[in-house]
Amino acid sequence: MAALNHPLGHPRRLPLPSPIGKPNWWVLSAVAIAGLSAMLPVLQNSAATSRGFDIQDSQATQARLNGEISLLESDVARLTSLSRIDRRAKEIGLGPSDHPIYITVDEAGPQPAKIPSEYLPPVVPKTDAPASPWRSLIDWLSLTD
Amino acid sequence: MPKQRAQGSRRVWVPAAFLGLFAMVLVARLVQLQVLDHARYAEAAQQELLGKDVVYARRGSILDRNGNVLATSVNTWDVYVNSRTWKDAGRSQKAANVLGAAIKLDPGVLRASVLASDAVDVLIRRDVDFETGNALIKQDLEGVILLPNTNRVNPEGDVAASVLGFIGLDNTGLAGIEAAYNDMLQGEPGKAIYERDTTGDPIPFGQHTVQPPKPGKDVVLTIDRFIQEMAEQRLATAMKEHRAKGGAIIVMAPATGEILALATSPGLKFSNLNFDDPSQLELLKNVAVSNVYEPGSVMKILTAAAAIDAGAVTPDTSYVDNGIAYIYGIPIKNWDDSVYGPQTMTEVLQNSINTGAIFMMQQLEAIRPGGFQKYLDAFGIGRPTGIDFQGEAEGIVRRPTDSDWSPVDLATQAFGQSISVTPIQLMAAVGAAINGGNLVKPHLVRALVDQQGNRTEVKPEIVGRAISGQTSATVRQMLHQVVESPGRFHPGNPREYSAGGKSGTANVPVPNGYDQTQIASFIGFAPLDNPQILVLVKLDNNDDFLTGTVAAGPVFSKLADDILRYMNIRPDGSKYVSRP
Repeated sequence: MAALNHPLGHPRRLPLPSPIGKPNWWVLSAVAIAGLSAMLPVLQNSAATSRGFDIQDSQATQARLNGEISLLESDVARLTSLSRIDRRAKEIGLGPSDHPIYITVDEAGPQPAKIPSEYLPPVVPKTDAPASPWRSLIDWLSLTD
Repeated sequence: MPKQRAQGSRRVWVPAAFLGLFAMVLVARLVQLQVLDHARYAEAAQQELLGKDVVYARRGSILDRNGNVLATSVNTWDVYVNSRTWKDAGRSQKAANVLGAAIKLDPGVLRASVLASDAVDVLIRRDVDFETGNALIKQDLEGVILLPNTNRVNPEGDVAASVLGFIGLDNTGLAGIEAAYNDMLQGEPGKAIYERDTTGDPIPFGQHTVQPPKPGKDVVLTIDRFIQEMAEQRLATAMKEHRAKGGAIIVMAPATGEILALATSPGLKFSNLNFDDPSQLELLKNVAVSNVYEPGSVMKILTAAAAIDAGAVTPDTSYVDNGIAYIYGIPIKNWDDSVYGPQTMTEVLQNSINTGAIFMMQQLEAIRPGGFQKYLDAFGIGRPTGIDFQGEAEGIVRRPTDSDWSPVDLATQAFGQSISVTPIQLMAAVGAAINGGNLVKPHLVRALVDQQGNRTEVKPEIVGRAISGQTSATVRQMLHQVVESPGRFHPGNPREYSAGGKSGTANVPVPNGYDQTQIASFIGFAPLDNPQILVLVKLDNNDDFLTGTVAAGPVFSKLADDILRYMNIRPDGSKYVSRP
């Protein structure tokens, strides 16, 4: 059987070329989407890199501050050591007591010395970071268990 | 038309076979490189590109019972130099000049040592101080890498050094509390990775911590730094005065087992630590915990407590001392060869009569065979106390089942011979005799505090009950009469506080007998009714051969006065002024 040498159905009409000055919105949209798609990873990487540097910078600052705290703690310990107290007491003319006379006073005694961890700022309870829009979408679609 | 087939010929098959074989070899080699040896090459590649280092966690501090710092860690930097980078003289000269000036090292020597090393990253200096390291980081020197580390500092100097111990280069405790509580103090080390470029130079911003270190806990000791320093000073003075070769002073709260001071000699000194000297390796152990000695007459406290608790004697039970007791035909004399005549049990303790101690033991054995050694067990003699310190010895108690047992041993054990204890063991046992009868585990740590400030208290632990509370009160009174009785002066009697105590002077055993050296000791407590401190003063090999009463007694009495006053305990009979 000979093949029919014409397309089945109605012949497709080719659109006429648009007149100059009238934009083809489909083409423009496609180009825009392609452009945005190309730009998105660049922007994302740029933001991540920038955030990474910020984090490293903050970590370095935190490490420096922790180091300074430990140095200050050590200084406090050195300045309150027995040998220094003894030296200072002698400088201001104090000496060991012999026969003490006990008195009662109504005032509260001095606060006990702080331990190093008490110099640290109070711990702020962690709050969960808000879920990303993608995670929300995946959860909404129930794609994961 | 018949189909034509290509005829195989040597010209086709030989190259084909050769190429096939070559392809197979290539594939095999690829499989070897990429599959079989993958891990090895991947690691080698990583080593080439990445530098890896341990970031030590900040080690927890060691504090005294009042929160004063005895040992703490400060942040430091370990300085490395990348030898490949420094091969270029132009690039490295400036860095060598700056680094050399910062760590006080000649730049030429510094550069030469880097270039002479086979390592890629050459360690230049450990524990460079924190501020110097920060300044070097800011200058961004060519090939210079600084990795964080910590260094141990002891603000109180050598105070309590033998208790605290020390750590190694890897921040692990090697002796003392640093070793015993290493797991708590050390925390968990982290990991840092830094990337290198093709020349091995660290890439800027290429360093990051992949696993942050977890800081260790602070350890709060039962030691009081003031009492500890006082005990160390008094021990040094007494050793000098009596020309003793060594000694120990231990101060313990008898009700809780908290060690308030643990001074020992020989002992560790941070200011004089040199492990190139082999004799200093001995200092790794604490003699109060690891060394045993025959306690001598101090043991009579336990003999009396056991006999009274069993109902074998009372403080007023009397016997006649003939100056010598024959045990299975073997004569045993009093320490001073004296004959005291009729004596009560209290007088036995006052005069430290050996035959009286044997009498108490015999009375106890008469009503309860084997009872004396059972009481020794109840007092914890012959087994470790379980103190939270490394290397505790268990002591030696010869028993009837031992091959070298002699029936005379029971008699000599009653006054502290043929038996060896550690000083800490004796403290626990005598503590039980005077604290109401509880055998309490001695301990050095009071609490653990994590970096969030959560504090975990270490509770006192009662190991067993040795004697009744009534017996304990009786023993306290008897020991009080040892140091304070009408018409008698005793050097171990504190001036301000009521107290009790007992001396001991024992020869040092050697194989087949005793040598001429001696150990003079005194153990005492105060105040009488509610003992707050139990103090053992022990002087080893005192060349002046003074007895425990004369050599160690005054050290106890002065210490008791000073410690109790420091603890704000009202002296007996002191003036007390109250605001109207």
